[in-house]
Parts: sequence; C-alpha cells; structure tokens
Amino acid sequence: MIEEPYRWLEAIENRREYVREQIKEGSPAFAACLDEGILLLGVGSGSSKVFEVFDRHALVGLGHPADIERLRQTAIDTVHLEAFMRAPEDVSLRRLVSFGLGPQLKTSFEHIFGSPFLAELLLAEVGTTPERDLLTRLHFDGGFEFQSGGVAALASRREAEEPALRWLTGALPRGTGRRETAEAMLQAWACLTGTRPFDEAIENPENRAAWREQIQGKTVEIGWLARTSRTPGRYESLTLSQLDL
Amino acid sequence: MSHPIPIAGDFLSLLAAHNATPFSGGNSERAPVQTQATTVFAFHYRDGVLMAGDRRATAGSVIVTDQVEKILQLDASSLLAIAGVPATAFEMAKVLQTSFEHYRRSQLQPLSLAAKVRALARLLRENLPMTIQGIGIVAPLFAGLDTSVTPHAPRIFFYDPLGAQFQAVGFAGSGSGAPAIRSILSFQERFATPPPSTMTRDEAVRFALRLLMVASEFDSATGGINLAAGTFATLMALESEGIIPIDGTRQAEILGS
Repeated sequence: MIEEPYRWLEAIENRREYVREQIKEGSPAFAACLDEGILLLGVGSGSSKVFEVFDRHALVGLGHPADIERLRQTAIDTVHLEAFMRAPEDVSLRRLVSFGLGPQLKTSFEHIFGSPFLAELLLAEVGTTPERDLLTRLHFDGGFEFQSGGVAALASRREAEEPALRWLTGALPRGTGRRETAEAMLQAWACLTGTRPFDEAIENPENRAAWREQIQGKTVEIGWLARTSRTPGRYESLTLSQLDL
Repeated sequence: MSHPIPIAGDFLSLLAAHNATPFSGGNSERAPVQTQATTVFAFHYRDGVLMAGDRRATAGSVIVTDQVEKILQLDASSLLAIAGVPATAFEMAKVLQTSFEHYRRSQLQPLSLAAKVRALARLLRENLPMTIQGIGIVAPLFAGLDTSVTPHAPRIFFYDPLGAQFQAVGFAGSGSGAPAIRSILSFQERFATPPPSTMTRDEAVRFALRLLMVASEFDSATGGINLAAGTFATLMALESEGIIPIDGTRQAEILGS
C-alpha cells in the first residue's frame, strides 16, 4: 500500500475520518490565562480530564481515556527525565510538544497498520506574566499550535471550537477572576454540548444557567496553575465550591 | 542497575531505560581528599519532628564552606538530612525529589512513607561499591509523614552507609558532631526538663541551635551558630500539616527571646 500513492492518501483520509468519528462525542475543555495564573476546565463522566504534568505545566484532554492516559504518561516521563538530567527550569512546553508529543502523535497517525491516538490535548505552561503564558493545542495527527496568553478551547469539531473561542475571548477581558472564568467556560461547554448552534445558544438568556443542569451526573474538573507560589509545584485541583459556584 | 521489567511510576526504571542511571560510574584508586558534610540530627517535639544541620563542609582540615544546606525538602512531606560526601548526597536527593514527584504525578497518588524510606535504602545500596572503597559515603537521616494514621504522624529514620534503615523512637543524628548531640538528647529526654518530646516548636528550635553550638565546641567539622556573622543552622519542622522552614531571621528571634 505504501508503494501506491493513491491508496496511501486514501488510507490516511480514511484514518482521519475514523479518528474524528471516534472522538466526536468528546467533552470540550478550556484553558484561560488570568492575571494570577492559568485556569483549565473539563467536564468528564467517570474518567479524569485535567492533569498536572510538571511544576508549571498541566493538560486537559479530549477523547479516549486510555489514549489520553498514554499521552499523559509520555509527557510526564519526558519532562521528569528532562528535569533530572538538566534542571526543572529547562522543562518547556514548546520543547515537550515540538520534539516529544507532536512527532509521536504524527508517527502513530501515519503508521496505518497500527492504532492511532484517539485523543487531543490542550496543554498549558504558566509564565511570569500572562503574556508569557503558553497554551498549546495538540491535534490527533501530531499538528500543534502555540499561543501566548489568552483563551483556548478544545472541541472535537473545529467549526464548533471557533465560535466558542470567539465568545470566550470577548467574555473574559483582562482582570477577570477565576470564578467568572470558570462560569463562562461552563456556559460555553453547555452550549457546545447542546444541539443548537453555539452562537444561537450562547445568546439565549435561558441558556446562561443551563450548565448547572447539564453537569448533573458529571464531574467538573478544574486545574489551577498559580503564577507565584512558595513551592516549585504550581498546580492545584479546585472544586466548584471553592470558586463559589 | 538494570530493570528488565519496567515498573509503573518508578523513576529509576525510567532512568535505566534511558541509560541515565546514577551511581553507576567506577572510581579511581587515587581519590582526591573528599569534601564531607556534617552534622545533622532530628528529634521529636510535641507537634512534630525538627530536623537540623549545621552549614559547614570540610575537606580534611580545610573548611570548604559554611553555607551548605544539609536539610533538603524532597516533597511536600519528606525531608532528607545529608551527612557524608555532598557530591553523592545531593545526587541522591535529586533522584529522590524527582522520583517522588514523578510517582505522584504519573500514578495520581503520593508514594507511601514505607516506599519513600525504601527508595533511599535502594540508593544507598546502589552506592555500595563507592562506600566499600571509602569514597562517596553517605549516612543520611530521613523524616516523612505517616499518612496511615490520623492525624498524620511525622517519623524519623536513620540509615547505615550500606542501606539498612531504622526508625528512630525519639531522635537520630549523623555526622562527626552527632555523638555529642545524641548524648545530650538522650540525657535531656531521660533526666532533664523539659524532655524534647514535650517541647513546643520554638523551644525545640532554641534547643536545636544550642545543641549545634555545643557540638561545634567539640568537633571542628561542625560549623555551629555565629550570631555576629549571621550564620545559622538549616532547620525544618515537619508537622502533620506539612513542612515549616525556619529561616535565619526566625532563628535569631528565637535565640534572642
């Protein structure tokens, strides 16, 4: 099959469709860079989505739990080895994704006789200022995009992700606190998982509090990477009640 | 050291898989004069464990520095006190720090106290060839929180250079100044008032600083306390809620009060 270009392209395209089909029910997740740190939020049902990776790093995943777990273990092994052989300060999200996770996902995706990763990740690195925060969207085919500061969304469909990201960017001006950010993310999550188009759903006042009903029976996971801390580790797991939600 | 079967969450397995195993190098028969770190000790006070160390490192009769940090925080609930060769001890501390955090993050639960105690024993055993040749000897103390009881209870462990581990009931000491300190701790616990196990944290800090002052009078390798020069000890308290570092400013306040 490798020797026949047409069949190779067809196989890759089939594979892309297969992965998209498998992760289309994945629960959206978000990350936002705030003045005092980075907030990550995911809503799961039975399996975890938000994880600490290293002192200043965390991730939130979408897709098959086993594949999120494989990627998480790879990321944790890579950064701890790096921190031991060099120093914790040398662990960087850019290097982890560019030289570690990205190539591994791409190789797995293009090895058409093996199983691809049915997962996508949003990774965060807290910096000394919000402008130096780094968010990375890692796709199932190994593609990735970096952004400094701001808000990022992770949804299984790009066409759903973009309006949510646009709305969240407007709804979370500089200075927004953790509580307001988490609530806006939950509103966006509720609209993304609903049946109506995002723009239509988010403008409907009745939908503003719909997330409270929609999270019934699910687990809201909130990760917080503090910008400053007395200890090297900045990650903390938060609950809705800790944010008065 | 080789691990044919990788152990989930085991950082030493990960290092072995990448041919990055520490303590695997050979050594020369003509070793240089070794830098040595002394003196460290730990004892139970009313609310926890106080771990203390002077800040002197020596090489033979030479004082290398009076600014060594011999009490190292391994994670949120573990302390390591190093006595012996700093080159080996600091590497062991780095392995343990990374191991404990790697396990906690990858396995989504903290390592148990027993496993932490054993991890240090494993490193000491890995270092056996160096120890036998008289190079790189480390005789550390370890303090950690026993989370199997409520409230969590701080415990002290001491080791011999071959890796045998022992739990200390009241106190433990290591390094060249330790005999004097252990003698005073034993006397204070049995015959004097207040015994260390009933002291408050501030009382324990004052007592620990005085112990180092006495040890430095009998052991030239122990740095002691120098108020005029602003040289204090490295002191960390481990209580059921976690680690409380006691910096030089606080030590000066307690000594002066």
